[in-house]
Formats: sequence, structure tokens, C-alpha cells
Amino acid sequence: MNIFNKILLKLVLFPSGLYTRMGVNVNHLKAILTTKLMMDDRRPNSFQQMQQKRRKKTISTATLSTMLMALIAGGLFAFISALLDNTLTKFTIYFSFYITFLASILIADFTSVLIDVRDSYIILPKPVTDRTFVLSRLLHIFIHVCKIVLPMALPGAVIFVINYGAWAIAAFAPMVLTATLFTIFLINACYILILKITTPQKFQNIISYIQIAFAIFFYACYQLVPRMMGRFSGLDISRGKAIILLPPFWFAGGWQQIYSPANSIQLWCCLLLSFAVPLFSLWLVIKYFAPAFNQKLAMIGGGTTEGTALNKVVKKEKSTSSYSQRLAGLITRHGAERSGFIFTWKMMLRSRDFKMKVYPAIGYMIVILVLMFFNMRGLTLNDISLQDDKGRIAILIVIYFSNLLLVSALGQITLSDKFKAAWVFFTAPVDVPGKILSGAIKAAISQFFFPVAAVTLIALISLAGISVIPNALFGICNELLITGVSAYFIADKLPFSSPQSIRSSSKGMLRVFSVMIIGSLLAVLQYILYKITPVIIILTILSAVASWMVFDSIKKYTWKKVQRRYEE
Amino acid sequence: MEPIISIKNLYKSYGQKLVLKGINLDIYPGQVIGYIGPNGAGKSTTVKILCGLISDYEGQVSVKGINLKENAVAVKSYIGYIPELAELYDVLTPVEFLSLMAELYNMDATIAQERMTKMLSAFGLQANMNDRMDTFSKGMKQKVLITSGLLHNPDIIILDEPLSGLDANSVIIVKDLISKLAKDGKTIFYCSHMMDVVEKVSDRIVLIDEGAVIANGSFEELQQQQGNESLEKIFAHLTAKESLSKAADELMSAFD
Repeated sequence: MNIFNKILLKLVLFPSGLYTRMGVNVNHLKAILTTKLMMDDRRPNSFQQMQQKRRKKTISTATLSTMLMALIAGGLFAFISALLDNTLTKFTIYFSFYITFLASILIADFTSVLIDVRDSYIILPKPVTDRTFVLSRLLHIFIHVCKIVLPMALPGAVIFVINYGAWAIAAFAPMVLTATLFTIFLINACYILILKITTPQKFQNIISYIQIAFAIFFYACYQLVPRMMGRFSGLDISRGKAIILLPPFWFAGGWQQIYSPANSIQLWCCLLLSFAVPLFSLWLVIKYFAPAFNQKLAMIGGGTTEGTALNKVVKKEKSTSSYSQRLAGLITRHGAERSGFIFTWKMMLRSRDFKMKVYPAIGYMIVILVLMFFNMRGLTLNDISLQDDKGRIAILIVIYFSNLLLVSALGQITLSDKFKAAWVFFTAPVDVPGKILSGAIKAAISQFFFPVAAVTLIALISLAGISVIPNALFGICNELLITGVSAYFIADKLPFSSPQSIRSSSKGMLRVFSVMIIGSLLAVLQYILYKITPVIIILTILSAVASWMVFDSIKKYTWKKVQRRYEE
Repeated sequence: MEPIISIKNLYKSYGQKLVLKGINLDIYPGQVIGYIGPNGAGKSTTVKILCGLISDYEGQVSVKGINLKENAVAVKSYIGYIPELAELYDVLTPVEFLSLMAELYNMDATIAQERMTKMLSAFGLQANMNDRMDTFSKGMKQKVLITSGLLHNPDIIILDEPLSGLDANSVIIVKDLISKLAKDGKTIFYCSHMMDVVEKVSDRIVLIDEGAVIANGSFEELQQQQGNESLEKIFAHLTAKESLSKAADELMSAFD
């Protein structure tokens, strides 16, 4: 156990006499907490999970990594908010980041770390009293939160002391505590809401989507906030009438009112809300929601067939062939290629691991596009409509960035945690595995490229008219060609048949950059030839033929070639 | 003789679904009870109630004269539960995991350490005692689970498919162990789908279907009642909803 865990464990076990009087078995409490903290050290956080899978190395410093991550994040929040002039704005921004970041960590940790459903099978059958068990859970949550909150708040404390003097800490500490309690309540409420509206089985999927949303949000902040600092440094957030509805503002106002009390109703309200709401909401959770919550949470961990009450009648299939089967019928040949298409299509939609890795790219794509337009000063819709210099650049950026999602997906379709299930491909009588690969790549293109290309085309036509069609189609064909070439190198194994590794990850990064460079070169070429429509049409045909040839060569991949990839 | 486990009018429902419909069972010290039934019959629910994992049931369950609802903690100290391929804290090593178990059973640390070393060695896991269990095979994890259920030398041992994932040699060890534990006066509650094993190790067989006990007696008694057949055939007679041969015929007809 690392030094921080040891100190925090000693701290929470300090009132052992009190616990004994409460009817808690302190020896059991210590044994459970010691084990849980040991497990925390070995259970990687979401950032380390990727590293661990690639390196196949065991981790024993997960706690220290999490604390370091929190420290860096806290430093960033404090630094960004310190750039603002107005105090209330500064602290509102700080507490916004604080609550959001803490929520993003806790939302995953609650099920995997803090409310471990395995406890039902491992600890509960043992002669451990309910009080001991509940207290062990609460103290574990307390220690876990401390390990995130203390390093995260430290840089802020230092910067605010430098800016405002020592008394700033006396105001800052209680606000950090109540903001933490409020965040814990938010997570509880989020969990309870999700469990109310959906089944425990779908619960994990929804949590994954929320994590994806957080990832996109932080990426957007990372890109946009520094650029916006200059414009909003003097903003006074307290002038907004509805600002009192924003929880981070309560803690900002609470800080202000403790640090330097003023005769302001707004600030008094903030101080009251910053204490009352977190405490009241926690009481609500413990008193009314926790029992049903624990029961439903236990069902997330799985159970027997006996416990499942079948309330719903299984829905009858509306038609015998689903959308994926109809699409497969149109663009693939019967047999291995069609099977590869349908299999990959369904896996991409259902694999939580795949979605967690690929879906954030949707957000990143939007953020990058917004950023690029943000940076193109003076660009107007008229430029796009006229397809002048600026307009052409904007059009080409949109077209050539539209396959970012597809490239991300292609990098992932050969990878899976359940890669051993791919034995089915190796034991089935498939003469040419390239057919399966071809089906898989077509599924990825159908799911991640065609919808984006269609939206892009429609948007461009509506803005620039039908004269944009030749260049739009040329760009789309080039994108398909780039995809085909990158698939030739990236997607060279059967779908969902290979484990994550450092090598696959670094190869993937290299290919993304290669794709971006090739895409940029083609975009430059297209920019030069933009107005020469006959040449564009001829090149479109050539690009389409080249794409077809590349995809056709993938279909011819032999077992010898594929097997070699697995042996590398 | 007083029963060591007494179950009277045990009812349990999940929502609208009644899973246990009035189970009545008395188990005497030193008996090996084979608790069998089809999937969804109520075996796991009965076991979970006995282990104190489920407390909202109707009826009376007492272990060694102690009412389970009134003093679950005392009851749990007498029971060793060995689940089927259950969850483990697999980032721990066997020694760390078993030390936690020992602590929760209030065992002396020295005795616990000695015992876990002997037991893990007997299972061939001496070299892996300090390796993290996330590298273990199914069989290795099951051996650790068996050790965890027996470490505190309980009077009552509840096993749920304990042979799952074990190789042939380990199966022989466990079967022999069950016999020796029974001779030592332990009471064993053994749930399994492996009829041949249940037939051989059990003093008494309790067959449960759709939440009710439909047969209760020694193997010889069941044979007298149902015909001189194997336990597998007796099980099929009593629980199969339709002809199993017909089901096999229907499967074969899929190739026509």
C-alpha cells in the first residue's frame, strides 16, 4: 500500500473506539478497507487501462497516477481561472471545471470501484455485520474521494492564497468540501435516474455514453477555452439574472461572502445554497434512494435466471431482414463478405469498448471543424456560396475532415478484448479471408462515412448550389481512396480478432498522421484544380476506379498473408 | 437428533414471480445432501438464503438452532460457501484473498497462514500463491474458491457446482475430500448438474423443480419409487416437460 493510502487509512480508523460503540467490528473494518485500498492501487484508472492492455504489465501505482492526474487537472483549472479579472467569474469557472472533472472520474468509479457488486458474493456470506459493511463502504468512498479532491484542490489553494492572502483558504476549504458533496449527490442522482428509466443490463452502456460526452467536453474546453480567454477576461458573470441557478456560482458566491462579507442578497443566497443544497441532497439520497439503489446496482453485476422477472414480452421482429442485412445485400456478395459485413456492423453498434474508443472522434471532429472556422477570420457564408478562395478552403476542409471518424473506426475494427472469440473465423471453411475483411471495411464505411458524406454533400449543395457537386464528389472519391489505402495497411486482420497492444496503437497513430498528410496533399491539388471542372470530373472517375481497385485487392487477401499479421 | 439445518415453509418471490413455493427440509449433522433441479428451479435462491445473501423471504430457516433472520452473522460463521466460478477480487494473490477471508472469519493469523499454505499446496498451487489471480485459469480460481470455503473449518459446507473447470485429478481430490469431510461429521449441501457425482457422494438427494421439492430421499429410495434407473433418468422422468428424445428428433429434423 502506498503512503497516501496508509495515511488516509490511519486517519479513518482513528475513531475506532467510536466505531466499536456503534456496533462495528473494527478488525473486519480494517481488513476490508486494507484489501480495498490494495485493490485500488492495482486497478488502473481509465487512462491507465489503455496502457495496461498494451503493455500487458500489472499496475501497482494506480492511486499515485490518479492523484497526479488530479493535481495536473487542478493546476490547469486554477491557472485558467486565474487569468480572469473578475473574482466571481474566476471562481465560477474554477468550480465548474472542478465539479465536471470530479464527476467524470466518479461516474465510472462508482460501479467499478466504490460499489463493487462482487462484495455481495465475497463479503456478505461472511460473518460481517451490516454496520461494518456499510461503514467500510462509506469510508472507502471517503478515502477514494479524498485522493482525488486533495491533490485537485491544492494548486487552486496555492494560487488563491497568493492572489488573495491566507484567509482565502478559510473560505476555499468549506466550498471545496460542499462542492464535493454536491458532485457526489449529482452522481448518485444520475445513477438513480438511469436505473429508473432503464434496465440494469443497459446501465453500463449509458454510463459509457456519458463518459464519451465528458471526453468530448474536455477536448472542446482544451481547444476552445484558451482561445476565448482573451475575449472574456473582463467578464462579470454575476450580472446575469439567471446566474443564481448555476451551482458553481453558489460556491463562487459562497467563497466571496466568507472571504469578504458584503451586503448583497445574491451573495447571501449563494452562501446559503452552497451549504444547504449539498447537505440536503445527500440526506435525500441516504434516506430515500439508497436502499432501492443498492438492490438495483447488485443486479448490474449479473445474477441467476431465477431472479429475472420477465415483465416484457419479446417483441416480434417487424421484418425478417434488418437494415444491415438489406444494405449488405446491396453492396456485398453472398457468403463470407456478407457475413463479415453484418457481423462487423452489429459489433460496431453493440461493443461498448469499440464505442468508447471511436465515438469521441465524432465530438473531436466537430470541435476541430468549429475551431478551424473560428480561426478563419472574415469567413462568411457568402464566401462559401461564391466558392471564392476562402470559400474553397472552407469547403475542402469540411470534405477532407469528414473521414476522421472512419479512420478512427478502421483503426479499431480489428481489435477487441474478446478477441479469442474470433476462433470462429479460423475454424470456418472460408477460402479467402479477404472477403470477410472486405465486408468489415464496407460496414465501417457504411456506418461512419456515408452518413457524414451525405450530410456534407447536402450542406454544401444548399450553401453553394449544384456547381459544387463535381468538387464534392471528387473529394468524396479521394476520401474513399485514402480509406482504401489506409485499410489496406490498418485493417489487415479479421474483425475484432486481435488484442490491444502498444504496437497496434502506435501503428494506428502513424497511419492517422499518414492519412492526414495524404489527405492534405490531395486537398491542395484539388484547390489548385478547383475551377477546372472537366479535369475534376476525369480525376473523380480515376479516383473512383483506383478506390475500387484497392478494395478489390483487399478482397484477395490470403490466409498466408493474414496469418503472418497475427504472428508479427 | 435435532436437524442442523431446518427449513420450514420457505417462500421467496422476485416481483410477481414466485421462485420458492413452500420448501420444507430438515438436514441432519454429517449428511451429504445432493440438491438438484433444472435451471431456474430455485436451487441458487435456496443456497443464497442459507448463506444469508437474501434476507427478504417468508418462512423459517434455522441453522444449529439459530434463526437465520434474527442472527445471520452467527449463522454465517458456521457455513463455508463455495460458489460456482464466482467472482474473485482477482487483482489480489491467493494469499491476500485468503487472508481477508481468514480475518473475516476471525481466524488466528498463524493458523490461517499454515492452513492456506497446506491447502493451496495440496491443490498444486504452491508456486502461484503470490501471483495475482487475474492470470489464473478457470480451474486455478475454482481451487482458490474451494480453499476459501473450507479455510475456517466450517461445520456446514455449501457447494455450488464445485467441480466446474477442474481437471480430472482435481475432481478426484474434491470428491474424496467431500467423503472425508462427511466422515468427519461435516454437513454438506451439494448443488450440481453432474448426476453421476451426486449419485455417488450423496446420502440423500433432494430434487427441486419450479420452486417445490418433488423428491427427497436416498438414491436407493428414489430408485424404489421411480424404477431401478440411474439418477439422470430419474431426474428426466420427474422434471422433463416433454420427451427429451422428441427434442433430439426435432433438432435432427433441422437438417432435413
